[in-house]
Amino acid sequence: MSGEMDVFVAEVRRFLDANVTRQATSGTELEWGTGPDQIAYFSTDPPDVDAAKVAEARSWQRRRHEAGFGWITGPPEYGGRGLSTVHDLVYDGIEAEYEVPDTGVLSVIGLGMIGPTILAHAQGHIKDRYLPAMYSGEVIACQLFSEPGAGSDLASLATRAVRDGDGWVITGQKVWTSIAQHAHIGMALCRTDPDQPKHKGITAFLIDMSAPGVEVRPLRQMSGGADFNEVFLTDVRVPDDHRLGEVDDGWRVALTTLMNERATVGGEGAGPAARAVSLPFLTALLKANGRLEDAASRRRLAELVADLTATEYLNHQALRRMQAGRQPGPEASVSKLMYAQNLTRGAHFAAEIVGPRLIADTGEWGAYSWNELLLSTPALRILGGTEEIMKNILAERVLGLPKEPGIDTRSPFRELKRSGGTA
Amino acid sequence: MSETTTQSELDELRGSVREFLAAKSGEQQVRRLMESEGGYDDTVWRQMTEQLGLQSLALPTEHGGDGYGFVELRVVLEEMGRTLLPSPFLSTVVLAGSALMASGDAAAQAAHLPGIAGGKTTATLAVAEADGAWRTDGLATEAVRTDAGWRLRGEKCFVLDGATADLLLVVARTVAGPGLFAVTGDAGLTRTPLRTLDPTRRLARLTFTDTPAVPVGRTGSAGPIVDRVLDLATAALAAEQVGGARACLEASVAYARERVQFGRPIGSFQAVKHRCADMFTRVQLAASAAAEAANAIAGVEGAPPAGVAAAVAHVVCSEAFMFVAAENIQVHGGIGFTWEHPAHLYFRRAKSSQLLFGGPAVYHERLLDRMGV
Repeated sequence: MSGEMDVFVAEVRRFLDANVTRQATSGTELEWGTGPDQIAYFSTDPPDVDAAKVAEARSWQRRRHEAGFGWITGPPEYGGRGLSTVHDLVYDGIEAEYEVPDTGVLSVIGLGMIGPTILAHAQGHIKDRYLPAMYSGEVIACQLFSEPGAGSDLASLATRAVRDGDGWVITGQKVWTSIAQHAHIGMALCRTDPDQPKHKGITAFLIDMSAPGVEVRPLRQMSGGADFNEVFLTDVRVPDDHRLGEVDDGWRVALTTLMNERATVGGEGAGPAARAVSLPFLTALLKANGRLEDAASRRRLAELVADLTATEYLNHQALRRMQAGRQPGPEASVSKLMYAQNLTRGAHFAAEIVGPRLIADTGEWGAYSWNELLLSTPALRILGGTEEIMKNILAERVLGLPKEPGIDTRSPFRELKRSGGTA
Repeated sequence: MSETTTQSELDELRGSVREFLAAKSGEQQVRRLMESEGGYDDTVWRQMTEQLGLQSLALPTEHGGDGYGFVELRVVLEEMGRTLLPSPFLSTVVLAGSALMASGDAAAQAAHLPGIAGGKTTATLAVAEADGAWRTDGLATEAVRTDAGWRLRGEKCFVLDGATADLLLVVARTVAGPGLFAVTGDAGLTRTPLRTLDPTRRLARLTFTDTPAVPVGRTGSAGPIVDRVLDLATAALAAEQVGGARACLEASVAYARERVQFGRPIGSFQAVKHRCADMFTRVQLAASAAAEAANAIAGVEGAPPAGVAAAVAHVVCSEAFMFVAAENIQVHGGIGFTWEHPAHLYFRRAKSSQLLFGGPAVYHERLLDRMGV
């Protein structure tokens, strides 16, 4: 096992060394007041910069694909490498040491979640058509799941798909759709039989995002940017061969998708937010504000840094365990909860240190810019599964506590009480 | 050594220690020892040596040890913390053992470590005085060289197992700076057991009146010795804390599954379920920190500096254990507040452990210091 892994690791390093540069080690002293004054979690890029980054991501994915790292776990007949999840994680761990374009626009949803779903549930010619194109960076996919009336309770979704000849006609509204503005295809969950219980009358489809009736509207979030979209589907025609899985069996298909949702949120290492909520940056912040000797500030800094560092240890240990060929544990959920908590505490701590210069922009470096992070932190406790849902999962699946009583899984969807529109 | 111990060997070690402690350190035994004079069971202490070789596990082979390291020791300490084993293990093996190792004094090591490894000698390290601070500057206790040898004068407080330890390692000031001294006799020594918040962990006051003592290590070298011991001791304590915290979490989860109110197990209510998930989160984080500290001390490849990892573990595990010990009582409700229920024993251990080496104000500054802030 480890001998074969050593060979793989060497191959990964050869590829990366030949194509990109290693990240500078963090040993250098942080210089306060230099560089862009940005502490963002979400993108703050104008559309042209955003588009350029998407192009860069696609080009890097193409090079990965050509070198055999585009789809490490995928079957060779669809352009995959046929290796294990462990190899995939090992690759990610090593690549994180290098300066590479952020491929999140492709990988988080399309390659990480929708690709495996297509592989498991689509017809052969549909796999041929989309999988190689997705993993070589050509096709971007988005996930059309959440709706105004179906958030944590995803199975209460109401977008309708009605059979029409040899195809389907889809009408409804999806929301919180990341990267819909860049996507070529979308995986939509639709209600096909409202007379069955909510989990049973759902069917999954692949939608061509350029088809007539698909309208993507940017959704401006509280931090000011628009990282998500609303997607309106009005009489969108979808051929039946673009159905994933059986009719009315879409919930099982959706579970494949959600099972493949990796701890991308908790595992995030780089990015301006993580750089800012770190010991060197926060120490520099205290120093710049004359608070480095202040006992109360030091105490809060220490509390925060202890949790940040312990969370890092947790992530490293999970990676090491997987590198040793062992199965991942519940670390991902713990890591996600801690990540949200750490960044939130960090943002509020920094806000306290800069004081009034957070509420009015005096032009000072490293002061008003904390707002970008501060205003993003509420999302960290919601996206990718709310804190409440994460805790349910930990309590029920890891600790074995009994399920919430009284949740109606038997009545026909049509009779359920729902908010945000009717069936 | 430790690099060669595989995960399955560690699991096996954990299994044997757990089995041993289940038999020797059940709640009834713990409660009996709480009320006893010495505070621990001599027979169990001997069996720990004879049956499992726990005292010798992490001591060097040239002094009667087995030559393993902190990776293995962590597993043992975690299990001890889990059952609240009343025992002079932390004082003898971790505090005194590490102090002797850190002193670099071959003669003292040869004199005392075989006894410790063989379970024949109990020992402790006396650093703190009336204010409880683990420091080596500004000490009142002094060591003076007389014609008859070194003599100690002064008072040490909060000495772990100080009333029973055979060997006392005492930090005292000398004209050359703080030094470490060994006391093995009772001449000029008064031991006063103190009433303790945690009855499973004994503390004492030691009064020295011209007490004969033998220097350990170079005179004036106690500063770096105590510093090193604190890294090891806080990492060891962290492992114990993780064990105690796990026991609290498991007790809460078990109770939440079986306790029925409003016609259903209380663990099905999100208010209780989420509390358990929060406890789990903190325990997992603490376990990671304690494991990383042990790896760092053992010099495992890729581990962070030992001082940093130990300081992180000390903070995170202290907070985690205190949090889950309190939440455990809340999950249990009224029954958790009774003397008969073990929840308070863990609460006592958690607070006592948190404050043993100074508490939050000290461990937060220690962390920043270790990280160069």
